This record gives sequence, C-alpha cells and structure tokens, in this order.
Amino acid sequence: MSDAPFRNPGWAGNTGEFDLSEDDVRGAAYAGERPPEGRHPSTSASYPFMLVERDPYAPLFEGRHKERYEKIRSRYPTAMAALLPALNLAQELRGHISPETMDEVASLLGLSSAYVRGVATFYTMYNKRPVGRFLIQVCTNISCNICGADEVLAAFLEHTGTELGDTSDDGNFTVVEAECLAACGFPTCVQINERYFEDVSARDVPNILKRLTDELAAG
Amino acid sequence: MADNGRKADTVTLTIDGHEVTVPKGTSLLHAAETLGVEVPHYCYHPGLSAPAQCRICLVEVEGAPKLQPSCVTMAQDGQVVHTESAQARRMRQGVLEFYLVNHPLDCPICDMSGECKLQDYVFNEGREHGRGREPKRVFGRDDFGGDVLYYGDRCVMCTRCVRFMDEVARDGRLTVVERGDRAVIDTFFESGLDGASFAGNIVDICPVGALVSKDFLHKARAWDLDHTESVCPNCSQGCNIDLHTRDNLVQRLKPRENPEVNGHWMCDYGRANYEWLNRPGRLEAPAVGRGDKRRASDWQHALHALFERLAEAEGASVRVVGSAFSSNEALDALRALAEQAGTLQAGVFRARRAEDEDPLPGFPILVRRRDLAPNVDGAGILGFTRVGDDDGTGGLEEAADHDGVLIVVGDELADQDESFGAKAGLFVYLGTFDSPAARNADFVLPLTTFAEEEGTFVNAQGRVQRFRQGLRGPGTAQPAWLVLGTLAAALTGGDRPVSAADAFASIVQRHAAFGGLIWEGVGSAGAALEAAHA
Repeated sequence: MSDAPFRNPGWAGNTGEFDLSEDDVRGAAYAGERPPEGRHPSTSASYPFMLVERDPYAPLFEGRHKERYEKIRSRYPTAMAALLPALNLAQELRGHISPETMDEVASLLGLSSAYVRGVATFYTMYNKRPVGRFLIQVCTNISCNICGADEVLAAFLEHTGTELGDTSDDGNFTVVEAECLAACGFPTCVQINERYFEDVSARDVPNILKRLTDELAAG
Repeated sequence: MADNGRKADTVTLTIDGHEVTVPKGTSLLHAAETLGVEVPHYCYHPGLSAPAQCRICLVEVEGAPKLQPSCVTMAQDGQVVHTESAQARRMRQGVLEFYLVNHPLDCPICDMSGECKLQDYVFNEGREHGRGREPKRVFGRDDFGGDVLYYGDRCVMCTRCVRFMDEVARDGRLTVVERGDRAVIDTFFESGLDGASFAGNIVDICPVGALVSKDFLHKARAWDLDHTESVCPNCSQGCNIDLHTRDNLVQRLKPRENPEVNGHWMCDYGRANYEWLNRPGRLEAPAVGRGDKRRASDWQHALHALFERLAEAEGASVRVVGSAFSSNEALDALRALAEQAGTLQAGVFRARRAEDEDPLPGFPILVRRRDLAPNVDGAGILGFTRVGDDDGTGGLEEAADHDGVLIVVGDELADQDESFGAKAGLFVYLGTFDSPAARNADFVLPLTTFAEEEGTFVNAQGRVQRFRQGLRGPGTAQPAWLVLGTLAAALTGGDRPVSAADAFASIVQRHAAFGGLIWEGVGSAGAALEAAHA
C-alpha cells in the first residue's frame, strides 16, 4: 500500500473545478461508513464484501447501523426497492446472509421471508454462507481467460489450500470464480474484498497472499 | 352518439385471416380464443397477473418489428395478427427446445402426463428429435408440505404458483430461488406450505408436472379419468367442481371455473374430502321388518308394503329428519310425502359447523364456509329446521321418542342408539349406510349419494347449482326424490317424477323462493335465487 494520505473513495478533494464540499458530494443521506482516519478504504463498509464486523450474530441495524438502515429505507419508495441495500448492510455486519438474516430483514421491511430468500439467492454477490476474511474472486471471463486466469485460479487454490468456494482452515481465504470484473484491459483481474489486483499472473499469487496475511497480522 | 360510444368500446382486428371484434382492453390471446385459436402459453393464467416471461405466446403482429407477447399485447383496431406464421412457429419451436434442455422427459411416470401443456405443445410443434448432447441437470423432488410435491426438473419457471400464493392467497410463501438453470421454486427453506388452506390450487394451475398432488400421486392416469360436472359437497359455498372418476371411484376433485362462486379455485379442505364417496359397505337393497324380524326385500314389495302402511296411517302425526347432504329434490319430496301422509309436526336436519370461515383473500367471494354441508341453505328454504350442536350431533330427542310416523332421510344417526324410533308407529329409514339406530326401522331403503344422482343444492349465496351423476350407485340404491316422489304420487294419485327435472319442477311449483327457475336454466353455472335475498 502506498504511504499517500488517505482520501475517502468518491471524493477527490476540492479540485477548484466545482464549488462543492464533501458533504455536497456524498450528501447527508450517505449511508456508508467512513473508514477510520488513516485506514485503507477496504476497511470501510460502504460496499458489499466489506466484512468489517464478520460476526454472524451481530445485532442487525442497531445503534448507528439503525440510522444507516433508516437512511436507506427513506431513499426508496417501497420496501422491495430498499431490500438490496438493506441486504448489503446486513452482509456488511454479519459477513454473510444466513437464513436467519433473511428472515430478520424480511420482517423488518415487511416482506415475506421467501421473497427475501429469492432475491438474496438471485444475486451472487450476497454470500449465502460464511466466507473467509478475504474473499478472493478470480475473473475467468474471456479477457482474463486468454491471459491465464485458469492458472491464477489454480495457484490461489493451491496456495490457500482450499477447494473452489470453500474457506481455508484458518478462516482467512475463500476463493471463488467471478464473471467479468470490468477490468478487461488488465487481465487477469482479481478482486479481493473490494480491492482490485490487476495484471495478476500465477507467480504473483504467493506474494499477494503474503501481503494479505501481513495485513491481518498488523491488524 | 350511441354509435360513437359503441365504436369506442370495441376494436376490430384480423387474426389468422379472420376478422374479430372484441371489447377494448382485450389481449390478443383472448381475442384469438374467441376465434377458437389457442395461442400456447405457460405464465399467463386468467386468474393471475401476466408477467409475459414464458415467451411462448409470442405472435406476429404486422408492422411490429418483433414478435409480440399475446398475453399482454392489447388488441387494437386494424391490427393484423398471425399466430401460425412461419416466424411464429419457428420461434415457438425454438422456445420449446430450450424448455426441453433440462426437462427429464419422464412422461411415463409423470402424473401430469395427458394434461401437460409442455407435452401438448412439444407434440404439436416441437422438434422431432432433440439436439442436446450435454447431460441434464437433476434436482430431484421437494416435499412442500400440505398436499403438494415439487419436481424441480419438470418445472418451466412460469411462476404461476408464486403469483397465486402472492396475489390470490396473499401468503407469499413461494419464491424462485437461485437463477439460470439452478432456479427452483421453493418456500423459505423448510417452512413449507403447511397451514396454507388454498395451496392445492397451485397443483391445478401448474401447466406441467412440477407441482403434483401427493394424494393423487401415481393413482390414475389423466386419460383414464371421467370428468363429471358437480358441486363440492364439503361446505355451503358449493364450489363448482369436476368429479374425476375411474372404476366407479372418485379419484380427485378439481375446481371448475365459475366467476360467481369460486373463480378458478377451491379450498384444500373441500379438495381433500372425497373419500367418503368411495366408502364401502353401502346399503344395496331394501329391507323390511323391525329388529330381528328384518329381511331383505326388493323395491316393488318394499314400496308396496310401505305405501299400504302410509295409507293406513293417514292423519297421523309425522316427524321427518332430513340431511344437509340431500338434494333440494330429495328434501322437497320428503316434505311433500310427509304432508300427504299426515300432519307434519317438524322437519329437522343437522349439519356440522366449523369454528370459523376461511376466505380466499385475493378472491373474497370464495369462502370456506362454517357450515360443512352443501345444502344447509336449501334445507332452510324448503322448511327444515336446523337442530343439534356444531358437531352435527344431538337435537333428535323428539324424533327419537316420536310415536307417530317417523321418516329419516340421509342422516346416518351416528350419535343415536338402538332405542331410536322404538315408539314410532311407522319408522322409515332411507340412507346410504345401515346404522345401529335404524334397528327399529320398519323399512330400510338404500339411497344414492349426490355423486350417484342428479339434483341441485342451494349454496350460501342463495344460488341453485346442479350436480350430475358421476358414479353408479351400489346395488339397487335409488335417488331419494324418486323413492319419496313415487310414494307421494301413489298417495295423491298424481304423476310420479321420472327425472330430477320433474322433481325440480315440483319444487318450483311449491316454493316461491324458487319462482321462475327452470331446470335447464340452472345449467352448469347455477342460477341465483332472487327471493332468497329479498
């Protein structure tokens, strides 16, 4: 990671080009969590797969998360429309969407549990079972595939010692295949949590994994 | 002005070369139906919303760049529609090929075989040979609870079942889980359909064999079943049904469309309770004589002897016990006979009453009523008084100790003991089953059930509805209206009824509530009793 001072994602600072403050850009209704000062954005929780709490039994939408939930709900006309961001938030808090979580979100939004299950299972980016601290998504779509995605995937599986879709014994890594990650100019692309690693080849894999474990050790 | 008004309400279009005029807002699929052209469809069902997702009802509309889904495309003036053009046929063949990619083609063991839309359409228009070389994905089956079993491999993902539970039962228990070729219909994990009292309808509306009834599973083939228009006998709503019979046994009940009564639906309670129509051990021949003196007889001798006893008893006090499972024709003939034979003290009947009613939220006309018998309202209109408690027991003390003429029709007297009718001067028991309480009967006469005769019921809406004969009665069992009407005619010297229509005509004559109705006019859809509401 670079030593450059951290900037919130989505806010490039005051470039002088626009007469806008950060609050104007993000809006008061910004529902994401700003990362703690000095931390990498991957520790923030504004996207799916940002598994900050990772506690499958974390209380859903309580305290500050209740405010975030209410902001989300107020932005959408119907409960059905608010379901996706509500599930994002739930996954952020609990690391994955368990049946219990679906049920809780359903009763919170006044939808049927079955409907929530249908939505949660439709989208692959909701984890239906617990994943490791790092969710490694290797793109195997055309561009990456031509440039050796299969070897990269095999290397990740080999060095983490897991099967595709399973979590390593230490609970650190889950390796999955992804369809296009929209970085076709830089194959092979690997998304780890919400960070992109581009131009990855099989021999980079041990280094990447070492970097991740070092990050974990550093806390 | 009137002309303009009429023009604004209808549109005229051409479908497959035939001109047709339909009301504005009619879908192309419906407009084609009025011409007798069936456009294949899966996801569209007249009782549900149309998501246009099955893509098999696409038709060619001249001027439109692409094929149009006929279930949601509204008919417009001057449209020229082709359902059988080369383009439409080629498209349907392609869609059907996709439907068969993972379909197991297990028609020989599938319950839907013979009434399956996938089977029909593929047979009509599908490819002669499959081109698939890949292995098919396999799901197996899933028990949804209740009476419903789900075979994921056969499913065409029309989501009719999901929409029925959502829109009509208003109980969003079903959903599409996963996507692509992994998609299946499921409930919320193990929660199932238990307790959903209208869930059986999803089996009816499933166009393929994905949702099947556990009760009917592997019981009969669709092409072996005879269908008879009838009325559900399990509550006073009187849903219009078809009796599906084979080997003189009822195999299942299916709802028959009637927008005034039950729409396309019926409840699981009504659907499940048909085995009593198949119960063995019926009364098959008349018997004469009390207690130990009882001996088998035949109709000629029994009726002759009974006629003489009734003629002797002239002027006696008469009590009759009817049944809410008896047709109007039977109940009225009973009343007419009682009035002829002497002084009618009381005509009573008993019926079970459930604790609450169970409406279908998305089609509130349809309610599983509290009265769990088909003709409670008819019996009331024909002058019978309801007695006894909510279990359909008790209330017969006066009848049990009556010392005049006692006639019991259709009530099995299950809660009565052998002393019933001991004091009666003449005790006639007409029923489908023998009963310990019929021991003192001078005459035991076998009757047919409603499924073995023709007749009418009056439902809770005050609607006269006809049922037709779907089964042969056992032995020499006869309809009650025929037996009672013959006796009454013998007493008065009038004409005896020879058909249910005659018996119905006599009801119309005797009761103002039935005024103006004719047998043919009741038809398949029934007719409202105006007077019942007044």
